[in-house]
Amino acid sequence: MWKYEKKLQYPVNIKNKDLKMAKYLYSQYGGPDSELSAALRYLNQRYTMPDDKGKALLTDIATEELAHLEMISAMIYQLTKGATIEEIKNAGMGGMFSMHDGGLFINDPNGVPFTTSYIETSGDFIADLESDMAAEQRARATYEHLMDLTNDVDVLAPLAFLRQREVVHYQRFKELRNYYLDKKIQRKD
Amino acid sequence: MNEYRNALDYYNYKNNNYNNPTFTENVNANNTYDPYQGFIRGNMFPKLYNDYKLSSPVQLDNDLKTYYDALCFAAHDINLYLDIYPDDRDMIMAFSNYSNEAEKLAKEYQSQFGPLFVNSEANMVYPWAWDNEPWPWERGGN
Repeated sequence: MWKYEKKLQYPVNIKNKDLKMAKYLYSQYGGPDSELSAALRYLNQRYTMPDDKGKALLTDIATEELAHLEMISAMIYQLTKGATIEEIKNAGMGGMFSMHDGGLFINDPNGVPFTTSYIETSGDFIADLESDMAAEQRARATYEHLMDLTNDVDVLAPLAFLRQREVVHYQRFKELRNYYLDKKIQRKD
Repeated sequence: MNEYRNALDYYNYKNNNYNNPTFTENVNANNTYDPYQGFIRGNMFPKLYNDYKLSSPVQLDNDLKTYYDALCFAAHDINLYLDIYPDDRDMIMAFSNYSNEAEKLAKEYQSQFGPLFVNSEANMVYPWAWDNEPWPWERGGN
């Protein structure tokens, strides 16, 4: 089960509205390598990890990804709060507005809805961990693109934090995969 | 060492001595950052740290909230490490220290800013305090 802690993992306090940036951030809300995608991917793969290390690591990283999803939604919420229709239209968010008003919808910046086909599960723990390593690298690259798109330090600080987490998660997945290969670990069931 | 450092940090926190932070930059590649330095980087491990665009990490307010967040973060990052290296005694010690310190601060934090958990002591009040703004995604939230 999960227990909610009423705080963000890292603070998000954005003073200036920026609808274009909010739109770009949807890549990490409902895009292929989004935080949602990561959380579901690891939660879904943990059942076929061969030992306790894998079950623990996937559970704990998946849980952290949910906290990251909350940070991304906080950023989108604060960047769009109080936006006028004119601002929404100018930012190219008219399409999203027509369907969802000010509600956050789990889609990418181009309005493509989230799909579970983003989540890879092969049942083979080496294949899964290697796809997780690649997913962390793609998310790191996405955060770099997002950081390229803004100079607002209120937005850059949480993005830099989230990017760095991808670096750490990649490392842990790699260490686990190397350990399984070195020790020739096999699934018992 | 960790125990001493945590005690000193807590002392400084209790005495509003924030202008003299004891979280000093630790550049030993085999060691971890202090909770604050690790938190602002999003990484407790100097060997793994890898930056982008920003020439230095963004500093956060030197207050109770940052201090609590930093201790939670430090414990969590070490948690991920321990999942893979469960027999690292020093890191288990660091995890316990940071978790215990965070728990101590949580009490104080909640007495000022409201409950973090629905079953915290800070929520055993009338009227029900859990609903109170700001929620985490709102500006100025926890």
